[in-house]
Amino acid sequence: MNSKGILTLQFGHYSNFIGTHWWNIQEQGFDYTSHSEIDHDVLYREGVTNKHGVTFTPRLLLVDLKGSLKHLPERGELYDEPPKPTKSDVNWDSDLVEIEGVSGNNKNQFLKDLENPEESHKVLTKTYDLEKDVTVWSDFLYSRFHPRTVTVINEYQHENEHTPFDAFPLGKDLWNSSSFEDDFSNKIRSYVEECDYFQGFHLLSDCTDAFSGLSAGCMEHLEDDYCRKSILAFPVVPSFFPDSKFETKEQQCHAIINESVRVLNLALSFNAFNAHSSLFVPLCMGSKGWRQPGPKNEFNHTVYDSELAYHSSAILAAALDTFTLKHRLKSSSFSLVDLCADLSHNGRKAAAASLCMPFSFNVDANLLECLDNWEGPLTKSITPNCTIGSDRLMQYVILRGIREDRLKQQADRAEKQRNLPAYKCDSITEMLSLYLSYSTHATINNVTVVRKPLDVKTPFPRIFDEFIGQAGYVGATPRPGHINVESVPVMAGLHSGSGVGDMLESLYTEARRIKYPRFHQFINAGIDKDEYEACLESLLTLRENYMDNYYI
Amino acid sequence: MAISLLNPKAEVARAAQALAINISAAKGIQDVMKSNLGPKGTVKMLVSGAGDIKITKDGNVLLHEMQIQHPTASLIARASTAQDDSTGDGTTSTVLVIGELLKQADIYIAEGLHPRILAEGFDQARTKALEVLDKIKIPVEINKENLTDVCRTSLRTKVHQKLADLLTDVCVDAVLALKQGDKPIDLHMIELMEMQHKTETDTSLIRGNISTKIIIANAGLVLDHGSRHPDMPKSLRNCYILTCNVSLEYEKSEVNSGFFYKTAEEREKMVVAEREFIDQRVRKIIALKKSLCDGKDKTFVVINQKGIDPISLDMLAKEGIMALRRAKRRNMERLALACGGDAVNSFDDLSESCLGYAGHVYEHVLGENKYTFVEECKVPQSVTILMKGPNKHTLIQIKDAIRDGLRAINNTIEDKALIPGAGAFEVTANKELLKFKDTVKGKVRLGIAAYAEALLGIPKTLAVNSGFDVQDTIVKLQEESRLSPDPIGLDLTSGEPIVPKDLGIFDNYIVKKQIINSCTIIASNLLLVDEIMRAGMSSLKG
Repeated sequence: MNSKGILTLQFGHYSNFIGTHWWNIQEQGFDYTSHSEIDHDVLYREGVTNKHGVTFTPRLLLVDLKGSLKHLPERGELYDEPPKPTKSDVNWDSDLVEIEGVSGNNKNQFLKDLENPEESHKVLTKTYDLEKDVTVWSDFLYSRFHPRTVTVINEYQHENEHTPFDAFPLGKDLWNSSSFEDDFSNKIRSYVEECDYFQGFHLLSDCTDAFSGLSAGCMEHLEDDYCRKSILAFPVVPSFFPDSKFETKEQQCHAIINESVRVLNLALSFNAFNAHSSLFVPLCMGSKGWRQPGPKNEFNHTVYDSELAYHSSAILAAALDTFTLKHRLKSSSFSLVDLCADLSHNGRKAAAASLCMPFSFNVDANLLECLDNWEGPLTKSITPNCTIGSDRLMQYVILRGIREDRLKQQADRAEKQRNLPAYKCDSITEMLSLYLSYSTHATINNVTVVRKPLDVKTPFPRIFDEFIGQAGYVGATPRPGHINVESVPVMAGLHSGSGVGDMLESLYTEARRIKYPRFHQFINAGIDKDEYEACLESLLTLRENYMDNYYI
Repeated sequence: MAISLLNPKAEVARAAQALAINISAAKGIQDVMKSNLGPKGTVKMLVSGAGDIKITKDGNVLLHEMQIQHPTASLIARASTAQDDSTGDGTTSTVLVIGELLKQADIYIAEGLHPRILAEGFDQARTKALEVLDKIKIPVEINKENLTDVCRTSLRTKVHQKLADLLTDVCVDAVLALKQGDKPIDLHMIELMEMQHKTETDTSLIRGNISTKIIIANAGLVLDHGSRHPDMPKSLRNCYILTCNVSLEYEKSEVNSGFFYKTAEEREKMVVAEREFIDQRVRKIIALKKSLCDGKDKTFVVINQKGIDPISLDMLAKEGIMALRRAKRRNMERLALACGGDAVNSFDDLSESCLGYAGHVYEHVLGENKYTFVEECKVPQSVTILMKGPNKHTLIQIKDAIRDGLRAINNTIEDKALIPGAGAFEVTANKELLKFKDTVKGKVRLGIAAYAEALLGIPKTLAVNSGFDVQDTIVKLQEESRLSPDPIGLDLTSGEPIVPKDLGIFDNYIVKKQIINSCTIIASNLLLVDEIMRAGMSSLKG
């Protein structure tokens, strides 16, 4: 346990969708040999079961509502066999014991195969109809969890309209109820205690419902108890809400109100992230995020359905896995503190993320040619309402899956390429840095290159079009039907610049327009108008940190 | 009707219909919970679709598990939650009494009595019932015997008798260990620690009615973590204990990060300088240890709320110091209470006076979990109750029971009084209310009569659950109650009237008081509802 551990926290259903994909991706890509570039011990931990079995499970705590796990037992199956309901361990007269069972949920084919020792090794390459089968995240969970990982909120039920868990203060109150905080902070402590060089936290949180309040409460706790550890937070917004498909007038009213509630939650939670995290990066596959998620972000050679959480969360997970690589590498001593410090100068606590998946790279191409022909920016923003631009930025760019031997044409066949200044570059890092320094203005670029591509075997959705080959490069002819894409090169980045200010401004404007006093569920739960106003003001102050025209 | 003009889709139920909805809901959940009441009630084992098991008899837990959608039922559920929060017991009774009150009211309302008159009667009856409660309460001395009685009564309704008696001793001992004169007791100073042992081997040893072995670490504390260095001692005697909240972990400062340092050497230099700062702290501890322990039969333990990194651990291990990092915040308080000394926030003036003492500190490893026992302390004012069990759901059931037991004891200490149990209060209050009814003029007395009848619901349910004839039992109880000067309760094994006081069956005063108050208010409110509206979100939220 000699590595720089990070504890991941996931709050909310959509966050758990993203998280599930993320752990799946990582476990497919496990490389147990010593020359693995990625240090798996950062996000994973080694453990021992009571039966002396060695386990390797995510260092993870996740929270979801009651009823959202379906067939996944709260404590997982790795450490204990799921207990059998027997009357003898009830400590009561056994003729006075009633057993009440909820009818068992049918597992889908993917999970059945995963359980079956004869089938489980084939799962990664088999095709399932997961688009239809997935309703909750545990439906496509490939990893197995430590018994400590899952926390279920019993007070609220998943998708219950009568007692919805939809307002920031509800989550805050839940955190403050002593039983939740005691239990959860104890779980955090147990994970942190076992790490020798603990770096900090990755925190994913839904920020359109009450989970935003819960994560805000949790961050306050982290700030108090682990004051010098970094918190890298990812507020996430789902790319689709079922209520936006209204048919009747009444449903439309409903949708409008829900949209306003979401904006309020977003405003309150961004304020909390600003106050308590080290750096926060909002993520959404819709380009607008609020009030509606807006048109989906498109990528070349990718076809996905933004209405499926299963699809959109997979793309966000790919981005997450890529841009967190830099502080998860074996070779560097770069850590989470460095990342957060570099991107949050001058109180710029919010940053933007971008992605290019797959990184369009022809089968027979080299990087020089590829970049030379590239049009437009390399990556696209996956932070809502934010255009990253190319002016006055601090940015980290990570490219994975391109081998060094694909850098440029060999000298004897180079022809025109020799005349390009980039031909002098001897490594991908160098060439990409050069490209970025030409294509941006007054920008600090930091480039990281990782050999390992992103693994996209099942249960990752099949979202790539027919021109993407098995290894993820763009081919001239369509890929044969029986072959599936197994990995893709990906580029992702984290950026801090004036575009982030525009995002904050747009949220501020939307939140300003809402007549707060009409939302009694917020006021009843203890956030009065003045507090809300103060929150908006601090959003505006944060926004001002991004105005750079003052200094010129 | 205004709302139907504004929102024609709003559903409205009026007057008799509204009342019928409320009454049927209250009766509905009463029926579900009825069988759980008392030491002969049933226990429910709830199995989720994923196979998670929850064992409970607690009304409050059941109500939450049932996911009530009905607005009336959820109002009652909330009353029961409030009951649990403030007293820790009586949640099933709350539901039963509310249900019973509405059932009785229903009879009169069917005959044309106005709900408001009933509500008024309820209110007068409530005042009278509180008087009766005060009259029959028995002031008690706070001693082991009395506390044991009340705790046992409460626990026997939660777990099997044998286990209940065992837990009772544990709970009483724990509270008495903490009690200091008249100061209120902080139950947080009792740590409940679970230890799940290896399933196959251990259960075979202790099968039987009590599948759980419980140890009380009376003289100290159990921490759920151990030292993280292979060379540290695993067991020490005669220990000085330093509790502190000081980071012994090198952390990169932010100026030292990414963009600013291009070469690795430059960075390394910075790191060495910063590292020195932490080393100095560790050396201070070592210096103190040397001055106190060297040449004497003493050892040294550091328990830190902050982190300790491997280099610091290594330095400490070389000196034979046992060091634990990231201790629970509350355990820091507990340690100070158990071992003496103070938790220090800086090492500037470290001296012997800050240190605590424990006779024996040792580590116990179970699977991937480590436990550290701190025993033989100077002034044990903090207690850990260690629960061992074969599986999680049993452990949780026992934990819940222990919590309730502790609450029952604490209630007694705060009330300095007890109420005879086994339904004695209800029978007595019924008798007194019927007498009182005759002194009241007008229709209000019907409300009082209904209230008196409703209270009998508790002994009736107890009788049903124990398998006795209801009418028989109640008549016997009422007769005996008229003759006897002492409150009369029901013996659940024989079905005969008994004097609960003589048998040591007691309930908490505050629990009964809370039940009378909250049930009356909720029932009256439900009776007075003459309209239930369910309007679309658009009209209410927007």
